[in-house]
Amino acid sequence: MNAAEELKQALPASVVSTGMQVEKPLVLVKKEDLLEVAAKVKEMGFDHLSVVTGVDYVDRFEVIYNFFSYGKKENLVLKVVLDHEAPEVGSLTSLWKGADWLERETYDLVGVRFTGHPNLTRILLPEGWKGHPLRKDYDMSVEQFVTIGEDGEDIVSTDGSNLLRRK
Amino acid sequence: METEELLINMGPVHPSTHGVLRFKLRMDGEIIKECTVVMGYLHRGTEKLAEMKTYLQFIPYTDRLDYISAMPNNYAYVKAVEELAGIEVPLRAEYIRVLTVELNRIVNHLVFMGSLLLDLGASTAIMYGFREREKALQLYEMLCGARMTFSYFRIGGVRDDLPDDFMSKLNEFIKDMEKRIEDYKGLINGNEIFMMRMKGIGVISAEEAINYGMTGPSLRGSGVNYDIRKIEPYSIYPDLDFKACVRPECDSYARYMVRIDEMEESLHILRQIADTIPKSEVVATQKYGIAPLTGMPYTAQTYFPRIFIPPAGEAYSRIEAPKGELGFYVVSDGTTKPYRVKIRSPSFCNLTAIPKMVVGLKIPDLIAAFGTIDVVLGDVDR
Amino acid sequence: MDPVTIDTTKFRPVRKKPETALEKLEDTGLISTVLAARERKGLIFLTTVDQVFNWARLSSLWPVTSGLACCAIEMMAVAMAHHDIARFGMEIFRASPRQADLMFVAGTVTKRMAPRVKQLYEMMPDPKWVISVGSCANTGGPYHESYAVLRGVDNIIPVDVYIPGCPPRPEAWLYGVLQLREKIKNEGYGAKWGLNK
Repeated sequence: MNAAEELKQALPASVVSTGMQVEKPLVLVKKEDLLEVAAKVKEMGFDHLSVVTGVDYVDRFEVIYNFFSYGKKENLVLKVVLDHEAPEVGSLTSLWKGADWLERETYDLVGVRFTGHPNLTRILLPEGWKGHPLRKDYDMSVEQFVTIGEDGEDIVSTDGSNLLRRK
Repeated sequence: METEELLINMGPVHPSTHGVLRFKLRMDGEIIKECTVVMGYLHRGTEKLAEMKTYLQFIPYTDRLDYISAMPNNYAYVKAVEELAGIEVPLRAEYIRVLTVELNRIVNHLVFMGSLLLDLGASTAIMYGFREREKALQLYEMLCGARMTFSYFRIGGVRDDLPDDFMSKLNEFIKDMEKRIEDYKGLINGNEIFMMRMKGIGVISAEEAINYGMTGPSLRGSGVNYDIRKIEPYSIYPDLDFKACVRPECDSYARYMVRIDEMEESLHILRQIADTIPKSEVVATQKYGIAPLTGMPYTAQTYFPRIFIPPAGEAYSRIEAPKGELGFYVVSDGTTKPYRVKIRSPSFCNLTAIPKMVVGLKIPDLIAAFGTIDVVLGDVDR
Repeated sequence: MDPVTIDTTKFRPVRKKPETALEKLEDTGLISTVLAARERKGLIFLTTVDQVFNWARLSSLWPVTSGLACCAIEMMAVAMAHHDIARFGMEIFRASPRQADLMFVAGTVTKRMAPRVKQLYEMMPDPKWVISVGSCANTGGPYHESYAVLRGVDNIIPVDVYIPGCPPRPEAWLYGVLQLREKIKNEGYGAKWGLNK
């Protein structure tokens, strides 16, 4: 019995389905119950949160968590499906501190909101950037420029006249 | 006594932040009360570009993530795509891959050693580190003509076979390197100033390091025996004799020593590969996807099709890069271009622990602790 | 007091190997209008102020340490023992732009970094020169399609020399530096009046 089936036995109400993702057990979880499942996952010994990935599938978002257990040397993949209009899911920062920046990055680039995150701000792009670049409907034709404000923070605008040289 | 807190800005252009990174430090006198990391000054949108390129065209972009050690980046990406498509790689190609990756581990640690000591104020080590690095880069130039951005790996193999006199040059390099590592140890390891700067600085316990998602040498410096080459063996690593280098002290000195030890282990691996490398094809002989419509006859190099369609699906694959766990999450929708590529970079995840590590230290200690995390900003910001 | 007169017929028509310090200086071609009154005990330099300034400037360029991306590692390689940029009098990489007169824009200039690069350039005292290193700084390079990258650093600051490559080899880097020295040699009014020959 792999970890996915073990999880399904423990929390049958929260697990939608189980499967495999190239030799790694995969569990599809209801988004409301993610925190509960994650706590169980940590209890099962999966102490390393490897990566948090957000994918935009045009009609839905998927957030994928890859876990690894140092003790058991096993992998586990959790997946939640979010609706496209208001993608929101609970934050795992209370369980894994490493989730902090990974979730901020997913928020920044994909636009998934993590409720309960202590500091959900943009991390790679400056605050005030319009749109989330890794969404499929991101408009690449609008060029955005950054200038420095008086306090040293970034100001984003589509007007680059302060920055660009007149040639 | 009445005191006032001071807000100090470090970076983004600062000689010891290894690129463009910014620390916002809240100081109480000379003691750091709070450290905020501001990044993104080198965010180049690699993950978005991956969606616009074909699977093969994305390989050069992986070079430019962690530009000190580009071979492991190449490897992690092609490994993810190979897992997704179920491609078998010929044995000789696997040997060449491991050879280049381990050579790159030595190069990475040489640059790490040099830049760490330069940050601490000793300018000799970087001269030594870069001298040996040039020798390794000459080997890479024999392989693929490039010094830093190799693009040597192909899905299903490597671009070209080893040149004729490569092995003799490699053996020379190994012999030279053995002596040099002894030199470094004599020069640096017992140095009193160095010890005072490194011992007991940037301490992070094993539990915390795991919780923060640290990997690689930085985690092994906290006493966790965790090496993906050992616990999740891939490629030819199960056949090789090497050990994961672990130090229990949890401080900057331990993280430094792990890397010096790793150089020796990598040399040991290179020696084994030089002895046992088999002869076979270097590109996968299994045809896959659409053949290139060039009308040219297949040669060893063009055997693997340029336009390549893996089946729809997703895969996460990771390797032990010199800086830690490097993973690629590749989602395919059954077209010629990836639907989504997520890069799990070791530098980004290791950096998470810095604000925790440096509270209560002074600014020069922040430099020392940050230096031993071994961060490359191309890898952090992507 | 008699005015100094120079008898130009006494100049040697054939160049011989430079021996004295003055001859060596003349031989560099940097101060090309040096005339020596050899009959007298002392020596007299005749040159333009520009040329002396140019010679001094190009012989000791101080670059600012501002590595942005991959090319910065090659910048370190250029500065280290193997390629040794100290041969050109520029091993002193300054951490402060106020002490530097040359900026290598070594790497990708992202949108977020662009105002900082511009600020760095503005903080440098005149005269100052910029070498744009690598495809990213020249045109955006492999990242020119990206939403977050400025397509060429010459959009924000003037550039003197472009070095292509991704990243350029150290040899290419040194060649770019030599090109900049050529350029500095021909700057100023003296060059405009044809006195640099």
